[in-house]
Amino acid sequence: MENRIYKHLKKDILVEFRNRSAVNISFAFAGITTIAVSLASGGIRLDANIQSILFWIIIFFSGMSGLAHTFIREEEERTALFLAIHSIPEEVYISKLLFNLVFFIFIALVVSPLYIFFMHAIPVHFTHFCLTVLFGSIAIASVSTILGAIVSKAENRGTLFTVISFPLMLPVLWIAIMNTTASLEPGAAPGFQSILFLLAFSGVIISASYLSFKFIWME
Amino acid sequence: MKALRFIFYILLVVMMPVVFYMALVWVPPAMGLGDASRILYFHVPVAWSSVLAFLAAGYYSVRYLTKEDYRYELYAWNAAFTGLVYSTLTVVTGSIWAHISWNIWWNWDPRETSAVILLLIYIAYISLYSSLKERPGRGKISAVYLIIAAVVMPFLVFIIPRIYWSLHPDMIFNTKNKFDMESSMRITLFTSMGVFTLLYFFIINLMNRAAVLEKKIQEKIHDN
Amino acid sequence: MDNLLIHAENVSARFGNVTVFKNISFRLETGSSMAITGPNGSGKSTLLQIVAGLQRTVSGTVTRRVNDAEITVENFSAHAGYTGPLVNPYDMLTAAENLAFTIKDSAAKERVIHLLDYFDLYKERNKIVKHFSSGMKQRLKLIHAFINDPVIIMLDEPGSNLDSTGKDKLFAKIEELKAGRIVIIASNEQDEINLCGERVELGKQNI
Repeated sequence: MENRIYKHLKKDILVEFRNRSAVNISFAFAGITTIAVSLASGGIRLDANIQSILFWIIIFFSGMSGLAHTFIREEEERTALFLAIHSIPEEVYISKLLFNLVFFIFIALVVSPLYIFFMHAIPVHFTHFCLTVLFGSIAIASVSTILGAIVSKAENRGTLFTVISFPLMLPVLWIAIMNTTASLEPGAAPGFQSILFLLAFSGVIISASYLSFKFIWME
Repeated sequence: MKALRFIFYILLVVMMPVVFYMALVWVPPAMGLGDASRILYFHVPVAWSSVLAFLAAGYYSVRYLTKEDYRYELYAWNAAFTGLVYSTLTVVTGSIWAHISWNIWWNWDPRETSAVILLLIYIAYISLYSSLKERPGRGKISAVYLIIAAVVMPFLVFIIPRIYWSLHPDMIFNTKNKFDMESSMRITLFTSMGVFTLLYFFIINLMNRAAVLEKKIQEKIHDN
Repeated sequence: MDNLLIHAENVSARFGNVTVFKNISFRLETGSSMAITGPNGSGKSTLLQIVAGLQRTVSGTVTRRVNDAEITVENFSAHAGYTGPLVNPYDMLTAAENLAFTIKDSAAKERVIHLLDYFDLYKERNKIVKHFSSGMKQRLKLIHAFINDPVIIMLDEPGSNLDSTGKDKLFAKIEELKAGRIVIIASNEQDEINLCGERVELGKQNI
């Protein structure tokens, strides 16, 4: 199984990077929205909570543009049946999840420094900020992997993906925004309870997705 | 089965006016809030029904995935549709009540937010279902969506309001007595919830039977 | 020799409310071959996919057995080979990379080299599939169907886009594989139908 997942990841990475456009667009999108937001706010010092709201909105929409892609690509390039014949559903799910996790952590790694630099948002509680970004990204990536699989089978994929993923990502955004606000405020003493929340959330979503993925994959 | 259904109908027909009488006439208005506070006896049962609809949709979805019986696909859709109606009513009545007691229509209180999210999930489900037209896996794919949503719900309903402070009174699992209720109010509220539960089962049952009949008729037409 | 069975009972398919075909039944055992024929839109590919277990929403049952073990989604590619117009290898990978992805055991490497050689693709194995001609692509698809030495072979229009040498090689391969296996071909080409012992004709019933 590990060997198969390695093969899947290798295939996905080769396909994505030879195609390059999708990956490039996602990164460009993340970078450009960050700069656009900072330009629009014109150097005003924003409150910590407004800064964290903007930060997570950027992260959310960067995810929207890229995370459903791994499954949508299989449908659009009509390789889904080929993939289904030559692999079992569980290994498809795990490899796509891993791919999305790594991809989205990279997106967060691009957005965060840019945001800190352009928006003068200096995280006072640095470890806390990093953990929130990391586990928030993991939570978003795990929800959107299964929703990407769902949406790839439907029509109007792009808009539908936003509609179906927003309500389910809200708990993550909510907690992540509160946490980020706390990490930006010198007076705050952020707790690790909410990071546990993000971790538990991802764990529950991944287990439920793992069990139900085959119902989506083999129609 | 038929006799049972008959008793059920009688109970509903008799009890519904009783609830209206209790809520609108018998029970004294809540302190300082006047007669408008009587909306409580409809807001809470409606909110409860929207959660019931969510449970029903989740239950039918799991049944559909395990049994592969086409009827459960129709049932799950019906449950989601009733959920959409009920959660809209919840949000509307809740907003009216918020206006009465706090003089503000909306304030993104965690409870209000979770009601809105429930509404969004129903909208999302129905949009997803309609964009899967012509796919053989339509029922299954949207069933998986409902299951994932059901997994997310406890985080919204039970964890977030407990981490963050809320204006909304904790009605049922009231341990610290944040909201003082007289026993007559409590009796009315619970009766109303009971009768609305009956009403919900009545509606969903009727819709399910109608949906199966409609499907059968359609198949008959296309086979001949 | 493996003890094989494919048994379809009263299989029907419908898209939305339109019935495509109704109550198809057949029984195939080791060494038998069958052609699915019928005009365009009569559901040949659909029936083949249902028989393969790639489409699950059907009324009726299909039993697939290898030595009394059920063929499921999990072990499908170990026992069965399937290709058709909707089964497309990755355009952005080379032929060799696609084959490396689908190969099940390392012992199959020699078989792959033999197949590449047989279908005249060995020289092109490191070319990106996107730059393949349609005939080359079809030969690559066929290699994918044969790659794990399947005992049940299901081919949807296997000869499409092939030139006469390609077809001759394909037919020789099918003839060679027929013994000890089950072969099902969905096609309207007479020479492909003639390869098979039995046939199911779709589109003839009252729909």
